[in-house]
Formats: sequence, C-alpha cells, structure tokens
Amino acid sequence: MKKKSTGGHGFNENTDVKFILISKKEDREFNLRRGYSMKKIGLIVNPIAGMGGSVGLKGTDGEIYKKALKLGAKAVTPRKTKEFLSHIKSRKEISLVVAPGKMGETYVKKFNIIFKLIGQMPKETSAEDTKRVIGEMLNDGIELLIFVGGDGTARDVYDAVDSRIPVVAVPSGVKIFSSVFAVSARAAAEMVDAFIEGTDLTEEEVLDIDEDAFRDNRLASKLYGYLTVPNVKKLLQAGKEASSIDKSSVNSKNEIARYIVKHMDKETLYLLGPGTTLKAITNDVGLPKTLLGVDAIYDNRLVGIDLNEKSILKLLKKYKSKKMIVTPIGGNGFIFGRGSKQFTPEVIRIVGRENIIIVGTYDKISKLDCLRVDTGDYEIDKLLSGHIKVVVGKKEEMVMEVRC
Amino acid sequence: MLNEIKLNMNEMPYPPPKGVIEAAQKGLSNLNRYTNPKELELLRELLADYSDVSKKHIILSAGSDFLLREIIHVFSRGRKVIMVNPSFFPTVQCTKEFATKLIKIQLRPSEFNLDADIITSETSEPSLMIVDNPNNPTGKILIDRGMAEAILENKDVLLVVDEAYYEFSGATFADMVEKHPNLSVVRTLDKAFGLAGARIGYLIAGKNFLDAFSTFVTFLPQSSLYAAIEAMRDPSYIKKNIELVIKERERVSKELEKIGFQVYPSTTNFLLIKTNMPDVARELKDRGILVFDISNQWLPGYIRASIGTSKENNIFLSNIREILKVHTQRGSKL
Repeated sequence: MKKKSTGGHGFNENTDVKFILISKKEDREFNLRRGYSMKKIGLIVNPIAGMGGSVGLKGTDGEIYKKALKLGAKAVTPRKTKEFLSHIKSRKEISLVVAPGKMGETYVKKFNIIFKLIGQMPKETSAEDTKRVIGEMLNDGIELLIFVGGDGTARDVYDAVDSRIPVVAVPSGVKIFSSVFAVSARAAAEMVDAFIEGTDLTEEEVLDIDEDAFRDNRLASKLYGYLTVPNVKKLLQAGKEASSIDKSSVNSKNEIARYIVKHMDKETLYLLGPGTTLKAITNDVGLPKTLLGVDAIYDNRLVGIDLNEKSILKLLKKYKSKKMIVTPIGGNGFIFGRGSKQFTPEVIRIVGRENIIIVGTYDKISKLDCLRVDTGDYEIDKLLSGHIKVVVGKKEEMVMEVRC
Repeated sequence: MLNEIKLNMNEMPYPPPKGVIEAAQKGLSNLNRYTNPKELELLRELLADYSDVSKKHIILSAGSDFLLREIIHVFSRGRKVIMVNPSFFPTVQCTKEFATKLIKIQLRPSEFNLDADIITSETSEPSLMIVDNPNNPTGKILIDRGMAEAILENKDVLLVVDEAYYEFSGATFADMVEKHPNLSVVRTLDKAFGLAGARIGYLIAGKNFLDAFSTFVTFLPQSSLYAAIEAMRDPSYIKKNIELVIKERERVSKELEKIGFQVYPSTTNFLLIKTNMPDVARELKDRGILVFDISNQWLPGYIRASIGTSKENNIFLSNIREILKVHTQRGSKL
C-alpha cells in the first residue's frame, strides 16, 4: 500500500518548541489516579483540519493551510473536539493520553477527564509529528486512539497505527469520504462509549483523496488502507460511492435538471452545491459549473463561481429571494457537512430549511436509509432534521428522513 | 424443466389439492369456449362469502397486479400517488409511467415504520395512496386500522391496500369497505391458495371504485376459473399449508440468525435478510437456488427469500453456510 504524508500540517501556538517529559514518578501517579480498570485512550487532534472548507479551498493539506488563513479561515476543530468530549458518557472510565497544545491538551483540560501529556511539538507541526506522537502513544500502551481530522489525518493515522489498535475517527476535515469516520462528533462519542462497554470491532476504509485533483474540480480517490473501529454500523458513515456515468443515470440527471430549470423563478438567487446532478442543471441552462464547488445563478446568469462562505453571504445580502440546491453524497447521504463546507451553518440559517431543494437520481437516493447533516452547529443540524422531499425525477419525489 | 429451487417469487411451495388440479384440467376441456358469466358470478359469490363482504364489492381479474394497473390508470390523473419504497415492483413501475406525480416514502431499517405524520401531511390533498400491507419485501404490517381510518377521513383521498399476504398476516381492512367508499382492498389466490399459475386476483372495492369499474369486463382463463371455484368451495386446505409455511419461516429465521445474519420479523411467506456478503444472491443462483436481490431497487445488502418446503429450506441453509465458509476464508464479513 502506498504511504504518503499529506494531512496534519499546521502551527502549535503554545510555544516555539514544547517538550513535555513525563517522569517515571509522574507516570506512576497517572496510573494510580486513573486506576488500572480504566481504559487508556490516546487523543490526537489535527488543529487545522476543516479550515479550508468555508473559504472554498477544499482542503488544508500542504501549503494550502496558509492560504486558508489569509482568506480568513477559522479553526473548526476546537468546536468539534469539545462537542465530542462533552458527549462521552463513560468519562469516568477512561484516561486519556494526549498530544500537547492544540493537538489535544487545550480541549481536554476543560473536561473532568484524567489525562497525561505525551510527545513534543515544534511550533509548526507536520504530518510526521502526528505519526511520531501516535507512535509514542502506542508505546505507552493505549488501547484505543481517537483522532479528530479529515481524510488526510486518517491516512497519517493509518501509517502510524495500521491494525494494531482500534480507532475512533471524529469528522472535522473538508474531505471526509473515508468510511472509518463516525457520522458526527456526537456519534464518535457514542462509539467510545460502545468501546468501553465492549463491542465487536470491524475494519473500515481509509481513502486516499488526491487533494490537488479535488481542488482542480475532480474527485479522484483510491483505497489507502483499513483501520479497525468499534463495530457500531449506525454510527459509522458509509464511504462515498462514485457518481454513476451510465446512460440511465445520465438520463435521470438530465430529467431532474429539466424539471428544476422549468420551475426556476427568474427573480430568485439559486446557490448550487457540488456534484454531477447539479452540473446537469447548469448544463441545461447553458452555463458552466464548478463540479466540486458552489456556484450561483440568477435569471439564468452565473453570478458567482466557486464561492466561499464570505462571497455567498454577500450574495445572500444582495438578493431577497434565495434557494439552495444540493444533492446528497452517494453512499452516505450527507447533504451538509461533507464536501460542501462553504454552506456553513450561517449560510444555511439565512437561506432557511424551506428554501433548500434536494435532488438526486432514484438509484442514488433509494440506496440511502436516510440523509445526513453534520454542519458543526448542532442547532442547525436539529433544524434540518426530520422528513424532507428529494426530487428524483420530473414527477417523482422521495420522502427521506434527515438525521444528525 | 429446470431443477432450480425457487425462493424468489413468494410462491406457496405446496401444490393445491387434487380436486383443484382436476377442476383446472376440466377447464382445459372447454378451451374452445369463453368463460360462462354464471361461473364468474359463482366465483364472485364464493369470494364474497370468504371475505365476509357483499358480492357487489367483488371485482375479478386475471391477477391482482392487473387491478392495480387499472386503478392507477383511472385514478392517478389529477391526483398524486403515494407509495412506500420499497414496494411491489410492477406496481411502482406502472405508477411511474402513468401518475401525474409520485411520492415515495423511504422505509428505513431496522423498524421499517411508516411515520403517521408523513401520511397525514401527504394525504392532506387529493391523492391515491397504494400500500402493500404486509409490505413486500419487509414483511411488516405498515398501517393499522387507526391509521387507515385517519387516512380515509379525507374523502379526496383514495386508499388501496394490497393484501396479497392476508392469509399469512391475518390483518385485513375488507370489512371497512362498506363504510368507506374511498377504500379498496386487493387480494390474490396466487399465494396462500397455491394458485400462482392460475393468476386470479380480486378487488374488494369501495363505492368510489365500483363506479369506475362499472364497465370493467372480466374474462378469466377456463382452467383458472374452474380451479379457483373449486378452491373457494373448500378453502380449508390452505390452513394446513399456511401453518407449515409459518413453522418453517420461524425455523429458517432462527437458523439464519444462528449463522449470524440479521433477519427481520415477517407476517408473510418470505423473509427479509440483511447480509454484507457481496453477491450472495448470485452465488446462490450459481448453486441453483433463486432468491430476490433487493439491492437493485433499495438499500444495499438485502435479500428476500420465500419459504420453501422443509427440504428446499434445508438446501438453502446448507448452501448459505457453505458460501459463508468460503467468504470467511476470504476474510469478508457477514
């Protein structure tokens, strides 16, 4: 299996170089405090994961992180990590081994969980630091590793862990297509509880998404490896299924597109999310489409290309009537929170649930047991939850449940 | 004749009694004649008696799917059609073709419940709701009498309940047809009566449907008509067969669970089975056992298997075990 390092780059703002050395005495004290019946669990956070999403950069691997910062990207990991930690019910039964600063320590301190620090972090961290710290955690005898990040982080974790111990993956990246991830931070907390109670383990996929291709409007992925996770299927997201390009699927997309275009109001702003079904809509109008980004149409004209959150908010101020058209990710059903991070909670709030149009071919939708949202804002997720209709043909809709 | 084990079409594995087969043979001797209207009336009387409704509510047809098609043709114009997904496939296909608008409600595992709030919301405007109860392929009763009463309160809504598996589930709305003109129940002799090859279906129709069917002329094949009359003269033979099927259904279900499959409770003559073994339906087919792979129309990883004879079920189970063994050696999961 090809191994490369792409995820987990960033800065640790605590110190230039932070050395945290646990003495043997401190380690003994940690063991005494935690009690020997407690599970020793590692936690590592990729502090920059997901930052490229709202600014439309489709990832933060490599040097893109710095560009994201310049564009005003805000960290999303703290919120996800806190949400995750606050929903673990078995906190009294676990002791954490965490990386320093924003790679773990910062968030854990605020919770009543026994923890100890491990590893050392330079000011600017890299994927290699992630792997090194995980290696130290493994040497320390952790029984489960929790990581917060996206597909890039998952690859780094796979490189370091392989199948030695199980992991719980908290989704917080821009690209979260691997099936190793929980459906949300809360679901990840439930998975930790299930692990503590004792559950079977299963192997799930880690995908290798080519971020340069992704940014270049192409979704190229291949299997990178498998990680072992607690076997709680309802809490695990399914991996993304490739878009179908067979004739019937293309015809279905065109049929949906014709129906949508026929019913478009000329005085309404339409924000079109990523995906080939959305591309069929712009094709029908005779306009180009950013396949993996957000574009905007008003009066059959393109008024925004590959928009980020800031430019979407600007358009929403300008136009009175607005609608958003999205399609779920095939295989896992996410309509918000995966792949289209530009649709931030703020954007969704302004557009309103009643102005969200969901489209998808019958073949894609019928294979989903529900639609999913994981926007990072639980209130918005709750607002979106419940039953919603999906346009699957010119005169055909499916009623689907939205879950968070 | 192929020596396949057919567990893919929800048929009764036991043939009808000798008398019914002889009646069908007698019908064959009249092949040069159209069916006698008096004999059609006799079958209507027998079906009305069996269903405990007045004869005027009974409409005959060569197969219940034909009745559903007719209902969709006549009543889907200007009305949206509401169905559940998954549902009886030919009905869905027909609706897609002819309905003004089709709303499908996705059933979710593991409960497969039909949400009352969705039904209330969707039936607030003129609509035709078609629901198979018990549902094929989940095997679950989707609507109860209370929900049916609530739907039927809106006189602009027509409710059609497909009770193809009524004899297995024991649940029926036939007695509500007199009170509710906007209700119809579709039934068949294909399943419990073991007459799939005869293709006899009947509608227990509310008044709104009867008006539309007033010009509907039925001719049934002679052999089918004679077999159906004989079967309905003494329908007691189905009781023993149903008991056998239910007993086998529970046994097969337990055995599959022991193997490690997830099997859902059924009120029919088939089981819905969840498996992560890819292509298990194809692998069974390669071994001469036919089951229905639902993945093509619904969620991945589900197959539907009809209950066969005890011997057929044992062959099915032993082949499942063998396939699993091969998969385990390959490292795939259940």
